[in-house]
Formats: sequence, structure tokens, C-alpha cells
Amino acid sequence: MFKNSLQSTPSIVVVALALVIAMAGILALVGGLNGRETATTPAGMQGKGRTAPVVTECFESREGSTSVTRVENAVPRYGYPNLKCSKTTQAVLWYGDPFDGTVPMGEMPDIRDGTRGDFAHAFVKPREAHLTYFNMGPDGCRTCHDGRTVPVPKSKSARPLAMHQDIVADSMQLQHGRGALWCLDCHSATDRNKLIDHLGNQIGFNQPQKLCGSCHGEAYIDWRAGIHGKRIGTWATGGKKRWWVCTECHNPHTVQANRFDPLLPEPPPPLPRGMRNANHERVGQGVH
Amino acid sequence: MSEAERKTDDDLHDGNSSRRDFLRNLGIAGASALISAGAPSESMANAPDTVSETSVQEFLQGHFVLMSEEEKKEAIARLEKRYSVQYSKKTTVADTPAPEGVLFGYALDIAKCIGCRRCVHACVEENNQSRGEHAIQWIQVMKIPKGNFSFSADRLDKGYPENSAVGDYGVQVGGNAYTPAGGLSTAHAQNYYAADEAVPDKDFFYVPVQCQQCEKPPCVKACPVRATFRDENGIVLIDYNWCIGCRMCQLACPYGARRFNWGEPELPAEEMNPKTHYFGNRPRMRGVMEKCTFCVQRTREGRNPACLEACPVGARKFGNLLDPESDVRKIIATKRVFRFKEEMGTYPKFFYYIG
Ligand code: HEC
Ligand code: HEC
Ligand code: HEC
Ligand code: HEC
Repeated sequence: MFKNSLQSTPSIVVVALALVIAMAGILALVGGLNGRETATTPAGMQGKGRTAPVVTECFESREGSTSVTRVENAVPRYGYPNLKCSKTTQAVLWYGDPFDGTVPMGEMPDIRDGTRGDFAHAFVKPREAHLTYFNMGPDGCRTCHDGRTVPVPKSKSARPLAMHQDIVADSMQLQHGRGALWCLDCHSATDRNKLIDHLGNQIGFNQPQKLCGSCHGEAYIDWRAGIHGKRIGTWATGGKKRWWVCTECHNPHTVQANRFDPLLPEPPPPLPRGMRNANHERVGQGVH
Repeated sequence: MSEAERKTDDDLHDGNSSRRDFLRNLGIAGASALISAGAPSESMANAPDTVSETSVQEFLQGHFVLMSEEEKKEAIARLEKRYSVQYSKKTTVADTPAPEGVLFGYALDIAKCIGCRRCVHACVEENNQSRGEHAIQWIQVMKIPKGNFSFSADRLDKGYPENSAVGDYGVQVGGNAYTPAGGLSTAHAQNYYAADEAVPDKDFFYVPVQCQQCEKPPCVKACPVRATFRDENGIVLIDYNWCIGCRMCQLACPYGARRFNWGEPELPAEEMNPKTHYFGNRPRMRGVMEKCTFCVQRTREGRNPACLEACPVGARKFGNLLDPESDVRKIIATKRVFRFKEEMGTYPKFFYYIG
């Protein structure tokens, strides 16, 4: 296509083109020579002055939800690490292997929403491995919530808790549902290793979307359709994708304060030559 | 002097001065070419290293698109060899062809974007931009006061629906010059907001801008040598070896999406991404243009762009505009979608929406 259109260019244009190409050659020669100069610099010199240590511990979407470790040469074909972390914020910036640490998503609940989701090639990163309290003993939460060490709660009404303040600072002020929700609307009272929806279905921590979806139908439908949330891997419909589950982005215990927890951004671009600061950008602002 | 006369006079004068400029510039270029012309042969004789040999051959090569399969293979082998030496690691330069029946499109949710700039830096990791003094970034995130955005829902259906041979995308250009449906003003946009304050700032929203992959790309029209062109998937690409560095495309682009290598790119070997594409992320040289290609080295092989994969809030969606089941098409069908600077008539395939 391109070829044809170039050949059919009127002759005047061809002449002009030839001229410019000649110019191009001259300029390129200048450029090419400069290229040669650097090329002779030993490869190691390329990175002079910027060999900051490689960050190997980082987090995915929200801080504290999914910590990951950089592994060198995880994709030997390209010499890729599994991921690269930001040197300033420790956030994951880049995936060498988008399916690192994922498992097939498994069957999705049948919701008659008209979306023809294709979950055959859907992968997720299991949540259980990332929950502090789940990994305190061999039996997960049941290490303590075995019915004896911590008794099964008799009532489903809110009460002050002497535990888990790092997860829910004040259980009487749970930041989800504007006072209408209590822990046991989501956590099974009898099997603490499981979540539970309002119909009494037990749901594993690895599939929080089934729980959230039971109350947030609209967001869930969008999520299934690939509009809400995030999917990485291939772009083609029906291709292999890693899906982010709800709790990788939303902290279920604080969504009322922040739907998505604020975080520090990556550094701004370097200022253009001659610009000393970016104060001009703030003129007329910040006078609230 | 009559109006008509003055006009001719001006025209003449302009004509003269530009011709003079042209000749003068040619003189300068010619002279510098002369000065340096002796250098390569001299140094070539006593420095027979891969890199200098290949860079001379590289600059003699034709436009990649017009090469025969044989020539392409040679050009690629030459580049792979040079990069592998230069960055001391095995580097591949692919020329994976454009997949058939695909028109690439991008959608970005400005209601979700928190301005964290992870996309900006993911792009740099992936696409081998220059670091250091001549740092280049292809994505710029604007922090814009919330009041700058007006979008009148009742006028949304009053534009020109865009039909095409493959179907109605349902995209409205949103009013026209006389009755605009509203839009985005970039007044008071901050591009350098500091990294020591948490985002998002509740009084602002954030708009990342990168190459919009226009269906009518002004940059392609402006390029005097066709070094930049639109591929079969609708992606605007650059043959870096054919680019003469005249920067006409940069002036033509209404989105400020094109970047020029003013200096020799500084790319630390340990940070260099060795999986490259000829028209994509292979290391560039001084004096050439570059810009976002939606990660052609990934997308032609089926993978999502790096900026999408880095976005923590899932504000970025990518896919085939010809596939009604793709994420982008579903967004266009169900969300409030607009294009940036649509009054320019560039028809971007980058859509902003409010999710
Ligand atoms: C180290 C022991 C320990 C572990 C491990 C533990 N919990 Fe608890 N949890 C407690 C104690 C003790 C209480 C009761 C606090 C109170 O009554 O003041 C409690 C209370 C709770 C409550 C409040 C409802 C109730 O039962 O009264 C929830 C919900 C809860 N835990 C969830 C979990 C989940 C989910 C896990 C696993 C991810 C977990 N816990 C792991 C010790 C533990
Ligand atoms: C809206 C549903 C919901 C409510 C209400 C809720 N939780 Fe949770 N909780 C979850 C989900 C989902 C997870 C898993 C989070 C993840 O995947 O990161 C979780 C995880 C936990 C954990 C394990 C966290 C860790 O990192 O180890 C504890 C402990 C916990 N919840 C306690 C509580 C307590 C105590 C309450 C009541 C004060 C409560 N939850 C209310 C949904 C809920
Ligand atoms: C038992 C029902 C229920 C479940 C289960 C539930 N939520 Fe909610 N959620 C609510 C209610 C009620 C609100 C408050 C809505 C409002 O303020 O209008 C809410 C609010 C939210 C909000 C803030 C929305 C807003 O409009 O401000 C988010 C985000 C959210 N939930 C996410 C989740 C996630 C993620 C899960 C799964 C871990 C979940 N929810 C599970 C009932 C639920
Ligand atoms: C990739 C991250 C991500 C994932 C995964 C995700 N969300 Fe969200 N969600 C967001 C962001 C970002 C917002 C917008 C926050 C804001 O408005 O400040 C949001 C908003 C919401 C809201 C508020 C109302 C709305 O629709 O805007 C609800 C409810 C919600 N999400 C539920 C869910 C549920 C349920 C799931 C899982 C099925 C889910 N989210 C998965 C990032 C995510």
C-alpha cells in the first residue's frame, strides 16, 4: 500500500523528495559519525553515573495489598526479570512475565447480565498468600478462629474489637457501607478461612469478586466485561489475560474513606533546559 | 500600493527569504558534511569495529518499507549485531508484520486516573528512551483543575456520527464549531507536579497524553521524506534510519506527542530492553524523532502496551476497534467518550472516557 502510493507520487514531488533525501543523507552522515563516537565507548560506560541499586521488593496496585519480588532472568528467552520496580516508590512499573504467580481464575458465577465473558483463559493472582493473618499458622485464619481459642461470635451486631486494629482501626467505624455493614456480612462466622455472601454462599479469599459482585452488581458487570478493573497479557478477545480481582485495588475495610488509597506519584519529567522550577504552573492556584 | 500589490510583494519577499534560508542552510549542512566526510574513511581504516561499520551501512540503507525481504533481513541482522555489541547483551530486532483485520484503539478513563505517572515510567522501561540529561518521555500527565472540563450530556448526540465501511462505532464528535458539546481546556495544566505529595488531589483530574494515533495524522502529512507513516493497524510509525530530523512532524502534531533526540541518547546497558521492533523500541540515535507506537513490538505479537500493564487503577484499555467484543469497543458503546482536541479533525484512535 505504502509502496504503491510512493511510486505513484507526481514527478515534481519526486524531484523535491530526491533533494530532501540528499539533504537527509548529509545530515545522517553527520549523525552517523556522532553515532560512531559513542559506539566506541565501552558498553559499561553507557550507564555511567546512574547505577542506582536495583529495587527488588515492590508492590502492585495499592500499597500493602500485593508485595512481589523481582526475580532475574525469569523469562530466559529475553533475559527478562519477572518485573521491574520503581526506584522511587517501589511500585511495579513493568512486567517481563505478566502471568508471574497466577493461576486459572476458575468458574465464574452465572449472572444473567448479557455479557459473554470468556474465562477459559482468565488468570488471577491468589490473594491468600498476601494476607498477613492468613499466614500466621498452618490453618489460615482458623489457627486462631478454631471455635475454642477465639469463640464463634454469637451475634452479628457491631462491637468494639480487641484484635485486627491494623486492618480495621475502629470496628465501630468500619469504613464500608455507611454503617450498614459488619465484619460478618463478608466473613463467615463459622469458617473464618472463607468469605460469605448474603445468600450464605462461602467464597474463598482468592475470588473476592464473587462476594463484592453480590452487592455491587453494576461494577461487577463492568468488571466481567473488562471495562472496570484491569487485565494484562494479550489484548485479543478470548486471549490469555491476567485479571486483577477487586481487593487488589480496593481495600474492603476502607473504601468509604478512599475508594482507591492515595499514593505517591513517580517523579515528574525533567524541566526543559533553562527552566529553573515549575512554579509558573501554580500561578493563580493554591489560593483556596 | 493596492492591497493586491502589497500581497504579491509580501509573497515575493517571503519566497526570496525562504529560498535564501534554504540555500544558506544547505551551505552549512554541506560544509559540515565536507568537514566530517574525511573522518569515516580514515577511522574506518584503523578502527574496523562492528559498530562504526554498521552505522555507515545503516545510513546508506533505504526506507525499510520499500526494501526487499533480502534487504530487510540484512538491515535487521546489522542492527542486531550492533546493538548486541553496544549493550553487551543479545538483542533482537523484530519486523513482525501488522496483524490482519485489526485497527488498534486505546481508551483512558479520566474518572479513574490518579496521576501516579507509572505509565510514563513503564513506557521508558519498555521503549528504551534516553535517560539522564537528554531524558525523553513519551507520555505526559497533565494535572488539570476540575472546572476545566465541561461536558454537556444533552448535546452529546448532536454531532456527526462517524460511520465507516466496517460499521458505526457509535462515536459522536460532540457538536461542531457553532454548538460545541463542551470539552477539555488545558488552561492551568500542571505537567511538573511534585512527587512528594500523594495523588490524587481531589480538586484536580489527571489527563495522560501520548501519541493519539490519528486516523488523519498531521505529522505524516508534514514529513517531507515519509519517514513517518501510518501502518495497516492505524499506528503511526517512524523509520528512524530514514528520518532526517527536520522536526516538521513535531510542529504539526497538535498533541505535542513527538520527541526529538537533541543529544546522543543515554541508555544504560543494564536497563536496555533487548526485545525490540524495527519501528518500535530499538535504540534510537541522535537527531531523530520518536514517539509512542502503542508498543508496536508488543501489540503486533498480541501483548498489551506497557503503559496499560502498569496502570494501578485500570484506567487504560486497549484493543481492536474492528472487534465489537473488545474492551475499547465496549467502552465506546457504553461510556461517555470524547477525543482530545477533536476540533483539529485528526480523528485520534485514542479515546478518553468517564467510567
Ligand atoms: C492471631 C490470632 C488470629 C488470627 C490468625 C486471626 N484472627 Fe481474627 N480475631 C482474633 C481475635 C482474638 C478476635 C476477637 C477479638 C475480640 O473479640 O475483641 C478476632 C476477631 C475477628 C473478627 C471479628 C468478628 C468476630 O469473630 O468476632 C473477624 C471478622 C476476624 N477476626 C477475621 C479474621 C480473618 C479473616 C483472619 C484470617 C485472614 C483472622 N481473623 C485471623 C484473632 C485472630
Ligand atoms: C465488605 C466485606 C468485608 C467486610 C465488611 C469486612 N471484611 Fe475483612 N476482608 C474482606 C475481604 C474481601 C478480605 C480479603 C482482602 C484481600 O484480598 O486483600 C478481608 C480480609 C480481612 C482480614 C485479613 C487481612 C490480612 O491482610 O491479613 C482481616 C483480619 C479482616 N478482614 C477482618 C475484618 C474485620 C475485623 C472486619 C469488621 C470490623 C471486617 N474484616 C469486615 C471483606 C470484608
Ligand atoms: C453486603 C453488601 C456489600 C458487599 C459484600 C460489598 N460491599 Fe462495597 N459497599 C456496600 C455498601 C452498602 C456501600 C455504600 C454505598 C454508598 O455509600 O452509596 C459500599 C461501598 C463500596 C465502595 C465505595 C462506593 C462509593 O460509591 O463510594 C466500594 C469501592 C466498594 N463498596 C467496594 C467493594 C468491594 C471491593 C467489595 C468486595 C471486597 C465490596 N464492596 C463488598 C455494600 C457491600
Ligand atoms: C484495577 C483496579 C480495580 C479493580 C480490579 C476493581 N476496581 Fe473498582 N474502582 C477502581 C477505581 C480506580 C475506582 C474509582 C475510584 C474513584 O472514583 O475515586 C473504582 C470504583 C469502584 C466503585 C465505585 C462506584 C463506581 O462504579 O465507580 C465500586 C462500587 C467498585 N469500584 C467496585 C469494584 C468491584 C466490585 C470490583 C471487582 C469485581 C472492582 N471494583 C475491581 C479500581 C478497581
